[in-house]
Amino acid sequence: MQSGMIFDIREFTVHDGPGVRTTVFLKGCPLRCSWCHNPEGMSPAPEVIESPSGSRTVGKLYTAERLSTILNRQASILEACGGGVTFSGGEPLSQASFLAEVIAQLNSIHVLLDTSGYATEDDFRLVAKLCNLVFFDLKIMDRALHFHHTGVDNAIILNNLRALSTMDVPFVIRTPLVPGVTDTEENLNAIAQCAAQLRGLVRVDLLPYNRAAGGKYAALGKDFSPAYDESVPVQIRLGCFESAGVPVRVAGQVPR
Amino acid sequence: MSSLCAEPNVLSSTLSFNPARLNAQKARIRQLEHKEVRFPTPPDLLAECDREDLSWPRRAARLIRRMCEAEAPFIHADEHIVFTRRTPSVPPIYSPTQWEERTRGRTLHELGPISNICADWGQVLSQGLLERRRVAAETRQRLAGDVEAEEFLDCAVETIDAVLDLASRYTLEARRLGKLDVAEILERVPALPPQSFHEALQSLRLLHAVVWMGGNYHVGLGRLDQYLWPYLEQDLKSKRLDIASAEELLAEFFISLNKDSDLYPGVQQGDNGQTVMLGGCTIDGHDAANELTRMAIRVALYTNMIDPKINLRINGDTDLALLMLATELTRKGLGFPQYSNDDVVIPALIANGYDPKDAWNYTVAACWEFILPGKGMEVVNIGAVSMPLAVDQAIRNGLEAGDCFNGILRRTASYIRGQVRELAESYSHLLLPPAPYYSVLMDGCLESGRDLSCGLKYNNFGIHGAASSSAADALAAVEKFVFQEGQVSAEELLAAMRANFVGHKELQDKLLHDAPKTGNDPEADALLSTLFDALADACDAVQDNGRGGRIRPGTGSAMYYVWLTRGKTGNPCEVPIGATADGRQQGEFFSANLAPSPQAQVRGPLSVLQAFSGVNYRRICNGGPITMELSDSVFSDSEALNKCAMLVSTFAKLGCQQLQLNTVSLSTLLDAMDHPDQHRNLIVRVWGWSGYFCELAREYQEHIIARNRYGD
Repeated sequence: MQSGMIFDIREFTVHDGPGVRTTVFLKGCPLRCSWCHNPEGMSPAPEVIESPSGSRTVGKLYTAERLSTILNRQASILEACGGGVTFSGGEPLSQASFLAEVIAQLNSIHVLLDTSGYATEDDFRLVAKLCNLVFFDLKIMDRALHFHHTGVDNAIILNNLRALSTMDVPFVIRTPLVPGVTDTEENLNAIAQCAAQLRGLVRVDLLPYNRAAGGKYAALGKDFSPAYDESVPVQIRLGCFESAGVPVRVAGQVPR
Repeated sequence: MSSLCAEPNVLSSTLSFNPARLNAQKARIRQLEHKEVRFPTPPDLLAECDREDLSWPRRAARLIRRMCEAEAPFIHADEHIVFTRRTPSVPPIYSPTQWEERTRGRTLHELGPISNICADWGQVLSQGLLERRRVAAETRQRLAGDVEAEEFLDCAVETIDAVLDLASRYTLEARRLGKLDVAEILERVPALPPQSFHEALQSLRLLHAVVWMGGNYHVGLGRLDQYLWPYLEQDLKSKRLDIASAEELLAEFFISLNKDSDLYPGVQQGDNGQTVMLGGCTIDGHDAANELTRMAIRVALYTNMIDPKINLRINGDTDLALLMLATELTRKGLGFPQYSNDDVVIPALIANGYDPKDAWNYTVAACWEFILPGKGMEVVNIGAVSMPLAVDQAIRNGLEAGDCFNGILRRTASYIRGQVRELAESYSHLLLPPAPYYSVLMDGCLESGRDLSCGLKYNNFGIHGAASSSAADALAAVEKFVFQEGQVSAEELLAAMRANFVGHKELQDKLLHDAPKTGNDPEADALLSTLFDALADACDAVQDNGRGGRIRPGTGSAMYYVWLTRGKTGNPCEVPIGATADGRQQGEFFSANLAPSPQAQVRGPLSVLQAFSGVNYRRICNGGPITMELSDSVFSDSEALNKCAMLVSTFAKLGCQQLQLNTVSLSTLLDAMDHPDQHRNLIVRVWGWSGYFCELAREYQEHIIARNRYGD
């Protein structure tokens, strides 16, 4: 029986996949994206968050049985609402064998994996094949720029993306639009070209930058020092996707 | 469970009439212009009441008469539905000494006058006041010699005549101003049955406004979409009205309810009980939602004011389209609608002695308590049992005495019994003042020659089981750490609680973060059910509440979530509580109604609904909503609206009883505290009612901001 480090289980997450979903946030991530809005997901160890209402420890160990029991309690409701469970984080694949064990114990329910794609191919396949849908982050196509902004090499990520497109699991590419970094014509064009080659791709989601990103850093005793200008509006370029014949959507925006 | 998914629906929520005229009315009200036509003082009745040595019923009738007479008609040029209250308050009908004599040894409920019930508006509208007068006269003849009945009926007639006179003076004023349509309407209503939707609304406006003038308050409007529908249906069929003109009339009626509400008694501005119930079922169990149901929701979207309070009865099969329309109203942030689940409420009412021929027609009182229009002389909020107090006393006394956990549970049950007994004893001496005008609007008073204060078909009381989640959490913490795992000794826990957790941070953190919590963990949820079973047992033990009724336990908290932590003198349950075993420090709030404790970090709405679906609502039948705050980011697209509607459907399918869904934007609330002048019209749901955020006392504002919020 394996255990995993979880930093949150949140219900009614309306932007983490189809239908009403409960999202499990696994703690620990190999990337260090400067725009990350879940900084408490970075370290795999428990941490303390200070807030006006007191301090609390973030990060709790769950056995696979305990976690699947909690999720199974609402399985039928989530199914009835056309929703399911999403595994996100941090990077869920950093605890791949724990996650596979959890999913194996779930009753009939839609499972979505929300991943950066940074994992060994074995770990990636182990979990992805158990899922109904994958949200696959594709941030920056240029290898050097990717390393500069996330701290890791994207070759592994692109390899897993290719592997995904040979599996029978539908997937959505998710690209956060960070001003001047990911929203450049060059980057989005390269993503569109890559996407056009992939079998099994449902669509590309462009996610406009979350200005609340910096909010939690101070509470964790961390520094928020992004390598970009937060105040610059993001460029939402749909044209390159449309001309490549790739379905594209802007997600998480508030239309008023 | 069958699938609930639906396509995002195009049920139109947009209005079809030109809002310019009504926007002006709304603005005038928000700028308090209607207050300018108020007289400085109300009529003075004491001298004539004493000189004529009037009995109490006769004083009550004289009050209505003089108040109506004092209402010099005021009609604004742009009004199609008229009446503007000009008397600034309700004068006393007894001097303080006389009042003290009259009420000595008796218990008064709140301010004294009958409040928080619902008239049978459908009946009085469809008969008209002249027919009610005829019924009174007929009964008087039949009961000749019964002095009390004769007096009551004379009083009732005096009030009827007062209202008819008021209507005719408004008619004259309307003619004087050249408003012939208004004049013609008031020549018919409320004397005669309405012949149109417009007439019905005008009649209702006047009949309803006069109730307040007798000192009665929390005057509910009941199932307005049911009793007004025949008039609207007829007008639409005959093409006298189209949807746009009907909406405009209904909107004007809704707006008018906001004119006098600052005069109405309540805990804070907005707590006035002008409740409207929509939807539900018909007598033969069919879906009662009609065009007026949907219109009322659309109109509420437009008016965006704190009155009337929109309630919606649903069940597990309610059309998702209707729920989506209702969700658009939720998105506005008014805290409307509050949902009641027929599948749970109706069987519970029947199980608790309500006639199946009546139970289908339930509405809610000012906040949430179930009541039958025209048939319930019920005091649905005689007080609250402080669950945290009972539990806290049981834990402290039990741990000191070396009890096992079941011993603590037994103590808890006995302390709950004690609180209920004390309240029941106090209310067995309840004195309800006569209300001859309100009696006209009820079922059976004129027909039997008995004032409303003598009782109606149903005469039950209701008690809130307040701050239940906090109480359950305290029990759960003790059960786990002291008894199951032996991690904390009784001495350690008691010492920490006595010290208000100062110097015991590690233990407090454990209690706050590692103990089971209601809304998250089944161990705590089970203890919540245990607490409510104890409350139901305690209420069952009261065979007669003194008025031939029983006591109904409920799940609400009302204002007690604040008062229980601070204490208020005079009330048996409002003893201030110190630190509690769930890790809460002295002075911190408890939860309002059915909600996880504010100190608990819960996973979200599904777990909360599941937790509260475990309460035995068959016995816990007074009402008290599950309260949920959704972040406004939840409503950012139509898919999200659909998901929210499904959440409401899930609430019903899980067998929960009542739901209050609020939308908040944390940033807006914080900004409103700092810059109230920029958020004058920001409305929030408080507990059973909505109010203007900036007009609330600071502690209410802080509690709203501190609540658990989902979907951030």
